[in-house]
Amino acid sequence: MASFLKILFRNVLQGPSTDPFPLGETFTPDRQRGRVKINPDLCMGCGMCKYSCAAGAIDLRPQQDGKGFIITVWRNSCCLCASCRHYCPTGAMTLTNDWHTTHAEEDKYNIVEQQKIDYVPCAQCGKLMRPLPRQLAEKLYAYNTEIDRELTRTLCPECRRMLDARRNAGALETASEQTQQQTGA
Amino acid sequence: MSDTLLAILHMCVFPGGAFALLVAMFFKGLDRRVEARLQRRVGPPLTQPWIDIAKLLTKETLIPKTACRSAFLLAPVFGFTGMAACAAFIPVPGVFDGLFNMGDLLVIFYLLPIPAMAIMLGGSASSSPFGAVGFSREMLMMLAYETPLLMILLAVAMLTGKAMNGGAWGAEFSLLNIVALQQQVGSFGLNPLMIPAFLAYLIFLPGTMGVPPFDIPEAETEIIEGPLLEYGGPLLAMFQITSALKTFVVLGLGVALFFPGTICDIWIINLFWFLLKCLALMLLSLTLVKSAMGRYRIDQAFRFYVIVPTALALCSLILVWVM
Amino acid sequence: MSLNTMLKKLSVCSPWLFRINAGSCNGCDVELATTACIPRYDVERFGCRYCGSPRHADVVLITGPVTTRVRDRVLRVWEEIPEPKVTVAVGICPISGGVFREGYSIEGPLDKWIPVDVNVPGCPPRPQAILEGVVLAKSIWMKKLGLEG
Repeated sequence: MASFLKILFRNVLQGPSTDPFPLGETFTPDRQRGRVKINPDLCMGCGMCKYSCAAGAIDLRPQQDGKGFIITVWRNSCCLCASCRHYCPTGAMTLTNDWHTTHAEEDKYNIVEQQKIDYVPCAQCGKLMRPLPRQLAEKLYAYNTEIDRELTRTLCPECRRMLDARRNAGALETASEQTQQQTGA
Repeated sequence: MSDTLLAILHMCVFPGGAFALLVAMFFKGLDRRVEARLQRRVGPPLTQPWIDIAKLLTKETLIPKTACRSAFLLAPVFGFTGMAACAAFIPVPGVFDGLFNMGDLLVIFYLLPIPAMAIMLGGSASSSPFGAVGFSREMLMMLAYETPLLMILLAVAMLTGKAMNGGAWGAEFSLLNIVALQQQVGSFGLNPLMIPAFLAYLIFLPGTMGVPPFDIPEAETEIIEGPLLEYGGPLLAMFQITSALKTFVVLGLGVALFFPGTICDIWIINLFWFLLKCLALMLLSLTLVKSAMGRYRIDQAFRFYVIVPTALALCSLILVWVM
Repeated sequence: MSLNTMLKKLSVCSPWLFRINAGSCNGCDVELATTACIPRYDVERFGCRYCGSPRHADVVLITGPVTTRVRDRVLRVWEEIPEPKVTVAVGICPISGGVFREGYSIEGPLDKWIPVDVNVPGCPPRPQAILEGVVLAKSIWMKKLGLEG
């Protein structure tokens, strides 16, 4: 008890260390994992977040008219593990440091982060698709300088494959020319 | 007839009843505040004990189906009346001499365990197993802390009696005379013979008030507040008021027994001087101990009380006897 | 203002808290303990006190996803709390089931069994969020008493 008395005396001298929080401001770390935020420009709708979500908080479904999809995070089920952020290939999922989640029961199902994401027609065939985010395209084709990133990212997978095949076929042409030369010789 | 009226007035207004309640509630609020400060917290407002009482009055009262209804309802009233009566016996030096001038020390000694008995009664009437556990613990604690208290009172009484009989053997159980003697010859708290008894009284205080480390009968983590488990609403408020009054009684008794000095003839200053001494006693023996210590086990607490304060009080008693 | 209204207005300033662990992983319980034990989050400022007995409680903080084993006990203890009471679900488990949601032994979410008043999601919620929940519970308690907060 004697050693405690010293601590108590020091405590009185130092004064209370209580945060004024509900009446005033409090400290929030920058890396505090709080409310989930989806960047609608980056989301591809791949469903990786839904697959990796431990709490089953993420729902991904097509829009009624088929012109896009809706991604929903129910924050009342989100366990803030940030595995969506970790596994998201485009970096569309982020966790902000906003932790003010307390709400009354009637708002229970309104505490959601929802993004309605529309498809964009393919630059060549006009089929509805999600364009590849620019950052991701730059990352993917960083070593393939012959590929036009701006064009490729606006193509649907089908057209992209065709483009790729055509380019590769061009490369093959030189090979066939060689064989022709050999046979000619 | 007017004597009776005066006695009732003393019990209801000053120093018992209203005055004691006001002081005790203020002390309780201050106690919580100071404890918070000692732990580097802000703590509740000073009016918090009153707000708690107001809250409890608005809550519904639930009575367990298996409880003994009359005893369950009467226990808090029993404790409250006991303490309200007891508060009137506390002399405020220089202001009020105590209700009777003969043997009131003995009356206080008999009235003091009433809140503990009320808690025991309520606990056993509630038919809850936790209440039964709390009952047995409260009983054990009472046995442990009443023994040193008796010895302290005996030491004080004998010292006063000897001084009044001019050195011959004697005992004086009137608080009026005890206070009067100390005002002549100096406070007992500064008398080397009585210092062990005063220390014993300091140790006795947290035990009788049921604050940590001796809040074993009402331990909320182990036996979920034991005897008070089934009480809620106004009945619990009554227990809280009783406990507040008891704080006033034991602190006032401590001041009367050991430091009853006055500083001048103006009664209002004497009153505040008395309250200041009560406050100092409370901060020293209740608040400081409460915030510095955890809870003892019942056997540890019992052994501690049987050995330490009893030995201290016995030491004083023997010294007084011999000298 | 009548005495009754005054008492009711005062009563909101003394919410005694009671914890029920409905099969929680103890994460939220630790956060609840910090609100009482760590000076930074001192919950006693609002007149709160963690009480041991359900009979003394005003605000019930329930953690955990309500397992089959504990469901009846939770309901029983909740019934013991005198009216008016405010129920606060702490953590995502009582609110939605959280990571345990479709387990074979999970009977949640809590609002299937008990009328919940305040939700404090998080896994676990910050102590400050719990304080926010208690403050919200106070205003809901005010409404339950028939006074507008």
